[in-house]
Amino acid sequence: MSKYHNFMRRPLTRREMLSVCKGGFGSLAFMSLFGLTTFSCNRSSGIALDSNSDLYRGPHHLPKAKNVIFLYMDGGVSQVDSFDPKPRLAKENGQDPRKKFKVDATQFDNVGKILKSPWEFKQYGECGMPVSDLFPHIATCVDDIALIRSMTSQFPEHTNANYFLHTGSGLQGRPSMGSWMTYGLGSENQNIPGYVVLDGGLIPPGGLDNFKNGFLPASYQASVLRAGPQPVANIIPKEKIPNLQEQKLDFIKQLDNNQLDSVGEADAIESAISNYELAYKMQSSIPELTEFKEETEATKKLYGFDSDDPHTRGYAAQCLLARRLVERGVRFIELTCPKVSADRWDQHGNLKDGHEKNAHAVDQPIAGLIKDLKSRGLFEETLVVWTGEFGRTPFAQGLNGRDHNPSAFSMWMAGAGIKGGTIFGKTDEYGYRVIENEVNIHDMHATIMHLMGIDHERLTFRFGGRDMRLTDVHGHVIKDILV
Amino acid sequence: MLSMLLNITAEGPSDVLLFFGRIHPLVVHLPIGFLLLAALAELASKKPKFQPLKNYTHYVWALGGISAFFAVLFGYFLSLSGDYNEDTLFWHKWMGIVLMIVAGICYFVSKKQLKLPFYGKPILISFMVFTIFYTGHLGGNLTHGSTYLLEYAPNMIRRMAGMPNKAIPRKKVTVLDSAEVYLDLIDPVMQARCVSCHNNDKKKGGLDLTTYAKLMAGGESGDAVLPGDINGSDLYRRITLPETHDDFMPTEGKPPLSEEEVAMIGWWIGVQAPSDGFFVELGPDEEVKSMVEKYLGLDKNQLLSKQMGPASKVVVDSLIKQGFNLNRLMIDNYFLEANFSLSEQPLTNQALATLVELKEHIIWLNLSNSEIKDGQLEQIAQLENLIKLNLSTNTITDQGLSHLGQLQNLESINLYKTEVSQGLVENIAKWPKLKRLYISESKVDSLTVEQLRQKFKNLTIQFD
Ligand code: HEC
Repeated sequence: MSKYHNFMRRPLTRREMLSVCKGGFGSLAFMSLFGLTTFSCNRSSGIALDSNSDLYRGPHHLPKAKNVIFLYMDGGVSQVDSFDPKPRLAKENGQDPRKKFKVDATQFDNVGKILKSPWEFKQYGECGMPVSDLFPHIATCVDDIALIRSMTSQFPEHTNANYFLHTGSGLQGRPSMGSWMTYGLGSENQNIPGYVVLDGGLIPPGGLDNFKNGFLPASYQASVLRAGPQPVANIIPKEKIPNLQEQKLDFIKQLDNNQLDSVGEADAIESAISNYELAYKMQSSIPELTEFKEETEATKKLYGFDSDDPHTRGYAAQCLLARRLVERGVRFIELTCPKVSADRWDQHGNLKDGHEKNAHAVDQPIAGLIKDLKSRGLFEETLVVWTGEFGRTPFAQGLNGRDHNPSAFSMWMAGAGIKGGTIFGKTDEYGYRVIENEVNIHDMHATIMHLMGIDHERLTFRFGGRDMRLTDVHGHVIKDILV
Repeated sequence: MLSMLLNITAEGPSDVLLFFGRIHPLVVHLPIGFLLLAALAELASKKPKFQPLKNYTHYVWALGGISAFFAVLFGYFLSLSGDYNEDTLFWHKWMGIVLMIVAGICYFVSKKQLKLPFYGKPILISFMVFTIFYTGHLGGNLTHGSTYLLEYAPNMIRRMAGMPNKAIPRKKVTVLDSAEVYLDLIDPVMQARCVSCHNNDKKKGGLDLTTYAKLMAGGESGDAVLPGDINGSDLYRRITLPETHDDFMPTEGKPPLSEEEVAMIGWWIGVQAPSDGFFVELGPDEEVKSMVEKYLGLDKNQLLSKQMGPASKVVVDSLIKQGFNLNRLMIDNYFLEANFSLSEQPLTNQALATLVELKEHIIWLNLSNSEIKDGQLEQIAQLENLIKLNLSTNTITDQGLSHLGQLQNLESINLYKTEVSQGLVENIAKWPKLKRLYISESKVDSLTVEQLRQKFKNLTIQFD
């Protein structure tokens, strides 16, 4: 029961007493004003276009990117099998890694022999970036890609690493980067949330907390859309009479507002009101969004809708949806992986089979997405980010798998403001550790924010008595990969 | 041992000597500290409270003397490398030796507690202190150049030291036409990257790069620049060598010149290395021009450096009501992005007229899928500050585009899925800053695209 007491009228707290008294009615007025802008998802109507007040929501500097598509490669892609070729692994295949270099503790403590990559690498594009045979389609886009081979994470285990990647902290409960972005910039579209996760079938370890708003107002959390005929649960109204639902919602809002009047500022209620409103609008915007009727056959083919592999078709739909969301002004779109039989990218065994299946599912759709964005002119204002939460070991786990490796992995970015065809950072001869230009997760966040026009040191939210940031006290923008 | 070390062959001093020589700057600070401390102790010991110090000061003088000896020795080794202004070096060397000797005398006097006639001791110690400062100053001049100390001093102090007033820095070039070839293009590179080693006091390789005349005078190995002959110019050779090469400039692991800087210097030598005249009058081709623009930072849109005040709230509210999304683009400026592509209302002429009221503010405009017509583009033409314009998925044609000739700031235009065709060649010529053009799914044929690519080399065309 105690939970429900939260929203009952309660006596003024000491803090409220002080804050009301010190500014008198002025501060009351300010509070309601503040509540209005920060807690509404819609940006144009609430934003202070003509003043430089605290209410400012928008970029700090002229942005390059207006939207981000975050292609999350759940489980950790092996860098030495994808974008970071290491000939030495072939030479020393089958030898004991402990005789060659210091081996850190691995999650499963089942360190096998040095394992060469089962795939060949070839050079592509004008820049000559080497890509393995896992990604023949993405390979055709290398001149648009800035590859970072020197990523590191702090956690060798999925859940923490996922939280770290998404929220900048290894612990549960901090706001996700998408929430920060929408909090900082607002959403352009009043009918679709500003932060959308397109669920391919696998929610990453750590669950929905990867996409949560944390201490930010609840309207900045991600909305998860499923790929399939009903992308959002209960999106089709139950009421037979159209008017009825509207009346019901109006009534609920009225009740909520009454409650809000009596308890004062309460994010849970304010966000609930705005979420109801958004949900109502989504009933019409979402079906329109997810019907691909206007898309030509050629476009669909580009993404791989005609593939024999159902997972490729599924991811193709996610990618196409992502582009359509970009067109509709959604700020941050994350795609999770399709449920390929061999368990996402986390190949502790059977590397060849597992990575091949996963790559096959995402390769063509991603390349299709890049090409489609380009030809529509959306690529100049959309940032595409491709990464896992960590990399994999250059030696085997057991006979033919690879264990987790947070000491080095590869990621890439493409699109708005990115210097295509660049390779940044370096790993040792085994691809085991970073030896040059280490880039950590905070740097990645800082760079994404920078491209969105946000100074990561200035976008803050006061919580627990501190001005919190996505990058905490860390983070450097990686200038070398920017135009 | 010493004789072996001092074995200076015809090729120059041995590495061991230079190794010790380079320790000179480190060691040289020890005698400074010790000797000043000793002088201070002597002064203090006049007070009864510090009287007992008297018995110990000679140790400090001894330390000072010994470290001075090593400083002099290593300094001598360093001087063998011969990269220093000879005059200054001469004085620095002899003052150093004098300093060492005076330190010895002080030690002797202090140890024996000698009584010198007529204020002998204070005079001796004052002379010591003066020598320390003067020798140190000369040393500073040797490493940093004689202008270093007073470079930022107020003009009054500079005049007292017999130096000219501070040079007024050249105004930043804002239009290419006003760029002087040597003063604005070449000289800044030399000043920023080369003169720290090639100046009047420190003439590495006998070369001084502080002025045009001195640059042309060349160095030890003759002319650095042969006008018109890139391959024969030592200076150009040295900045284009592989970074690891011994002759590479700048040396000592300093970052190499940028691609633009190198290309610019090469071009300058190629056109006979003139000392003055405007850059554009030397007939640079497009490629060189865009390179120099990049170097001068003129490729960025100047518009954005302008300070724009807030937009009228009434106009903003009215536009929002008429279906526009308006976004601020920077926190310290009021430029706006206007987006109609998400609107659920039709685009009215009234809305466009309101939009024109914000013509100074709007730099990005998205009218994708807004059913805008050719005729309405006449209104859009008034938004003279537009940098990005998205007209995709509309039935507009070449004729409509022809209205937009005034958009002198336009950098990107999106004509995806429009009906524009061959007329594009003429229209594009009107936008001097255009960098990106999107014409997939339009009526443009590949022949026209070929023509466009031929004609506009710096334009990225997306067509597939
Ligand atoms: C860190 C100090 C340093 C900097 C900075 C430096 N130089 Fe030098 N430079 C030297 C030294 C030492 C020599 C003599 C040794 C040699 O000949 O390699 C030299 C010699 C030269 C010579 C040959 C002179 C002659 O006649 O023998 C040229 C030409 C030259 N530098 C050009 C440049 C240019 C152009 C730059 C700026 C891009 C530059 N240097 C920056 C140290 C420097």
